[in-house]
Amino acid sequence: MCVGLSAKVVKVEKGTALVDASGARREVSASLLKDLEPGDYVMVHAGVAIAKITDEDEPETDRLLEELL
Amino acid sequence: MAGAGTVTAREIITSYDGPKLRIMEVCGTHTHEIFRLGIRKLLPEQIELISGPGCPVCVTQVGFIDEAVLLALDHHATVCTFGDLVRVPGTEMSLAGARAKGARVQVVYSPLDAVDYAAGHPEEQVVFLSVGFETTTPASCLAVEQAMERGLTNFSLLTANKTMPSAYQALKGSADVFLYPGHVNAITGTAVCEALTEQGVSGVVTGFTAAEILTALALAIKKSREGKPFFVNAYPRVVTREGSVEARTLMDRLLEPCDTEWRGLGVIPGSGVRLREAYAAYDARKKFALPEIRGRGNPACRCGDVLQGKCRPCDCKVFGTGCTPEHPVGACMVSNEGACSAYYQYGGDNNA
Repeated sequence: MCVGLSAKVVKVEKGTALVDASGARREVSASLLKDLEPGDYVMVHAGVAIAKITDEDEPETDRLLEELL
Repeated sequence: MAGAGTVTAREIITSYDGPKLRIMEVCGTHTHEIFRLGIRKLLPEQIELISGPGCPVCVTQVGFIDEAVLLALDHHATVCTFGDLVRVPGTEMSLAGARAKGARVQVVYSPLDAVDYAAGHPEEQVVFLSVGFETTTPASCLAVEQAMERGLTNFSLLTANKTMPSAYQALKGSADVFLYPGHVNAITGTAVCEALTEQGVSGVVTGFTAAEILTALALAIKKSREGKPFFVNAYPRVVTREGSVEARTLMDRLLEPCDTEWRGLGVIPGSGVRLREAYAAYDARKKFALPEIRGRGNPACRCGDVLQGKCRPCDCKVFGTGCTPEHPVGACMVSNEGACSAYYQYGGDNNA
């Protein structure tokens, strides 16, 4: 049940966002993220977009490791 | 395709030859991804991974299932639930057992779908089984708000929602480093984890891809060698310091803290949430005047010890024999995020 799904925002309308997760589309609540726009990536939990995703994983982890070493 | 950083992280992990390091992955999805990606096979024997209590279904107490069964069979309510709660054994039976006796049990993906169901079935009383941590609790709150806005009087929540910070307190000492659940921190922010370093609790918050998990383990190893408590946010693309103010405001508006029982950990004061009095009409316990129910689990089941890292799933006598995903005895074998389910599915014993 507690699985986060990353998805791309296709459309935002009245607190609801249509998102695309690798081709699967579904409406999710956008009421926790006020300034969503089409093209944003979000993390979805139980039908609610809970956070924006601001980068890809590998550039980010590369940076973290550079700082470490 | 692994990036250069992943290779470096992997080298840090595989070449570790320091003192024994116990790392607890709090989140059940981390447990499964670590198995699925084969990361356990990379670990030198001094690194022990412990599966923690971060699977909401697994820590839900037996009595909660009994309450849901009572609502479904005696009160003829329609129970809407996440799918993995359906087969969790209660004292007498699971919800699947209740369904076989004629109960209406609907599996939904989101609490908001349960509100839609209630709107479409005004003749039924619909109860959503509200379990979960900070990641899923906001969805239950939104469901109550939507039900109010739509004027529905046939929707309520049976709450067993829990908050993570008090569990970290209870688990302090069971591991040297915590891998914090990234999406809980997306809501709570990181201040709580930073504060834990003052009590000597170290941790890294991380995401769920191979690069992220390997990097987090490498960071845990490197930072541990420095010899002082640390916290690193290794998931800044999703987790910010302040977290989601909107989600916390919403939860605070509808919910208040309460003591709650965790399977395996017992009652942890202030570690749960329930609906405030103003929302009593949406609280299934009040609406249906449920009696206090104390559930009894199967005494052979060691889910409680597994959840605290006191034993591994394969140390339990019924693991893989009396308890399998087809016929689960304990919650950790039912849920896809449960440690027993992961060990069974991926054939895990010691770091294998």
